Amino acid sequence: MRRLIWSLGVALAASPVAAQNVVKIGQIEAQTGANAIYGYMSSQGLALAVNQVNKAGGFKVGDKSYTVELLASDTRGDPKEASIQLKRLLETDGAKFVFGPFLSNVFVTIEPYAKQFNGKFLLMGGATRIHDFIGTPEHDFLIRTWNWDAGPKGFGNLMVDRLVKETGAKKVAMLFQNDQGGKVLVDIYTPLFKEKGIETQLELFEPGTKDFSAVLAKLAVGKPDILFPSYSDAPLYDIVRQATEGDYFRKFFLVRGSLGPGLKNKDALDDYFVYVPKYFEQAEKTDPKIAKFVADYKAFYKRDFPYDQAPLCSSSCYDHLFMLIEAMKKAGSVDDVAKIRKELLAMTYDGLWKIHFDEKGEEVFNFDVVRMKRGGQISVTSVDVQ
Amino acid sequence: MLQLLVGQTLNGVIVGTLYGIIALGVTLTFGITGIVNFALGEFMMIGAYVTWYLFDVAGLPYPVAIWPAVAVAAGCGFAADQLLFRFTRNNLINGLLVSIGLISIIEAAALLLWTTTPKDMGYVLSGAVRLGGMSLPKMKLVVFALLAAVMFLTYAALSRTWIGRAAYAFSQNPEAAMLMGVRTQVLQSTVVVYSTALAGFGGALYATLYSLEPSMGGLYILKGVEAAILGGIGSLIGSLAGGIILGVTEAVGSIYLPSAFRDAYGLIFVVAILLYQPSGLFGAER
Amino acid sequence: MKALLWVPFLVFPALVQSNFILSIFIFSFILAIAAVSFNLIFGFTGQLSMFHAAAFGIAAYITSLTASFFHVSFWLALLPAIGFTILISLIIGSICFNFQLRAFYFAVVTLAFSELARLVILNWNSVTNGTLGLMVLDKPFVWAPGAGLIKIDGVFGWYFFSLAALIFTVAVCSLVLGSWIGRCFAAIRLNEDLAQTLGIDTFRYKLLSFTLANTLAAIAGSLYAFYTGYIEPNYLGINQSLDIISMVLLGGRSSILGPIAGAFVLTGLPHMIDLSGEARAILYGLVLILTILILPQGLIGTLASWRRAA
Repeated sequence: MRRLIWSLGVALAASPVAAQNVVKIGQIEAQTGANAIYGYMSSQGLALAVNQVNKAGGFKVGDKSYTVELLASDTRGDPKEASIQLKRLLETDGAKFVFGPFLSNVFVTIEPYAKQFNGKFLLMGGATRIHDFIGTPEHDFLIRTWNWDAGPKGFGNLMVDRLVKETGAKKVAMLFQNDQGGKVLVDIYTPLFKEKGIETQLELFEPGTKDFSAVLAKLAVGKPDILFPSYSDAPLYDIVRQATEGDYFRKFFLVRGSLGPGLKNKDALDDYFVYVPKYFEQAEKTDPKIAKFVADYKAFYKRDFPYDQAPLCSSSCYDHLFMLIEAMKKAGSVDDVAKIRKELLAMTYDGLWKIHFDEKGEEVFNFDVVRMKRGGQISVTSVDVQ
Repeated sequence: MLQLLVGQTLNGVIVGTLYGIIALGVTLTFGITGIVNFALGEFMMIGAYVTWYLFDVAGLPYPVAIWPAVAVAAGCGFAADQLLFRFTRNNLINGLLVSIGLISIIEAAALLLWTTTPKDMGYVLSGAVRLGGMSLPKMKLVVFALLAAVMFLTYAALSRTWIGRAAYAFSQNPEAAMLMGVRTQVLQSTVVVYSTALAGFGGALYATLYSLEPSMGGLYILKGVEAAILGGIGSLIGSLAGGIILGVTEAVGSIYLPSAFRDAYGLIFVVAILLYQPSGLFGAER
Repeated sequence: MKALLWVPFLVFPALVQSNFILSIFIFSFILAIAAVSFNLIFGFTGQLSMFHAAAFGIAAYITSLTASFFHVSFWLALLPAIGFTILISLIIGSICFNFQLRAFYFAVVTLAFSELARLVILNWNSVTNGTLGLMVLDKPFVWAPGAGLIKIDGVFGWYFFSLAALIFTVAVCSLVLGSWIGRCFAAIRLNEDLAQTLGIDTFRYKLLSFTLANTLAAIAGSLYAFYTGYIEPNYLGINQSLDIISMVLLGGRSSILGPIAGAFVLTGLPHMIDLSGEARAILYGLVLILTILILPQGLIGTLASWRRAA
């Protein structure tokens, strides 16, 4: 009897269930340089997710167990670096799944090369320009990991609707950074506002500007109802402070950036309308998954949790790794890119975020709209677009 | 419209003094050590971050937090001088390139310590002064006053005290100054450290007005060099004047012309000055 | 003899087929053209010009726009780019050198013009598409005896094409620097006032050096644009200028081939050694500082002096 159990034990130990295989996940993002906040934050989320997956012993597809190897490179926002790094990831390292890029100029440069590998890998990036290519022939490798502003389910559309309904604004002053991100916002929102009969005035500022007095004063001359400023927190803190201190604007409408600048100036402004997309401070108290994520982040990075940048590090790469793994399980393979993609597009994922991809591969996730009035009174509206 | 113009001119003057303090550092360094220290913007960044840390994180009152920040900036300046700039005296190209290498290192260190996420310091003094329909933030007025005071004090010190006269003599004729007993090595190091202290001080004040990022220094050193050239390299009052003129040109230019070209207005002005009056507006004929 | 140095490059692709490594080489070749040409004005004539990246970038735009707008070949499109570069070099050079700007002011004025050019390209949306940049979809064609018209597309094509361009650049520089023109450049570098008193028209030679350097940079820029397939205003940024300067310093500014080594090291090393972005920046800064303070002749220069001393 003992011998039987012992020989069974040996047989089990020798079975393939114990074999460890590796799935390589690449990432090309700008972690340093201008506009590095997007790449930096998504790399934070992905590294945390990989660590959690591996700490739990990896994941199982079929009867094989896999761990994840993360190959993250820093493009520094330089398209030349990115194109070399992608070549290395795809040819030397043989990665089939690459996260990134968030920067549009990087994406546009690597697109012709990536296209040659259509069907052999998946590129899951948040760059706004990906929208122009996704769904077109020979671009099955593309998946966009961020919401799109325009379109019927676009959050921009819904935000503008809300703005009109709740504030009755007729004239909007737009103040954007003179770079790809800013330009894309101009292209998306000017027609959106026009459709609803809202007059717009646009001023662009050079990246790196710190003093917005002149440009705010210029915009304020036309007496617009509300200011629609830039897209990353760095200038936003300065813009909101200088706008309120200089008495140029007291009402703000944002589709990028966080609640932070508003909170800091809460007694000086009248209205702060922001697409968050998730109000982490509140979600942490009500959703145990979010609370765990925050705790895990703090333990892993030994740093304070960046609430105002949280959406980027949790949505664009953290949840997606788990979605990818789930898709691999459903497809029964870690190599069959076409099958995995099919499963990704078919699922609705409920993690930190509630995510699904539209038929082209562009992400649609539920989001929060936060409205803050003078004094800091906050109302959060959750929008379900599933 | 007049209100807009006056308001922006005043704002330009204030912004210009921040350019001016860096310009003062540039002009002092060039006059005494013969190089342009492009890394001054990084020392400003160091001053800003240390101030932020002491005020926001450690909770020290602001007037107390400034001094360690300036000391740290000056200390880094001293280290840079002993390790690097000491070997590039009067070699403009080498000094320039060494300081550019230094920029990479300091900025990377800041990224490692504080990441690229911007830091917005708690407000030291909020609210604005209302003057005839215009709003001037109180903190900006304080910053202006402090910077102008420091610059005038520097000017006074250099023209009245012994070390000031030694520095002046040295910049005219280094050999003669040495023969007259001026300790040239000490003088040069002191000037480098002082200019980094000035930059650190500028950074400490910058932190009360704007958000901080590791890359913040780049803009200010460029403006500082432009302002120093405008005012005339070698002239101390010139650096303040140059800074103010640059600040006002940018602010007023942005109103009447596209703001996307804001940096260009200053550049064009500088090129024009260099071609027609290379010694700058206040500089001596060289 | 020096020609033998090129042979390893010619056979390299036969040995190493990796797309990844070959593209590093291609970028290195193209940037080496920019570095070698920069050394003309910097290392050999002793003037620190910050306009190099602007010449690089402006030509990239003109060549790409001409090729796509007028549907002409790469070579025809290159002509207006070179023409414009010569023109603007003559204008800016005349302004700078005529007013007898000292070294530092020359650097500042060229920097100012470079920034102005960048701002113009950045904001001239109707033509350059501003910050969004332009995709360059055309490819150069080369006529080869026997094979007819070959399209330069793909790694092997570009490898030899850019290598040929680099050899051409080095040949031009060798010719110029080996001639009496080169000796005038050296005289200007060593002691401009003395050169003037010896009867050398320093204005004319500085202008020649500046223009030639920028023209070769224009070729580099056009190649870069067509290879990368994308151009944006950052090509004219200060960082691009600084990158080129570092390559020259690292490789050695007293030789023609030195900058090539610098280009290879600075382009390839970040991909060979896996470092975080910050660590890489620190390394870059250290390299710059060390080459100035300890190895002022750069890698190649130091190697050459060791060889001579041995």
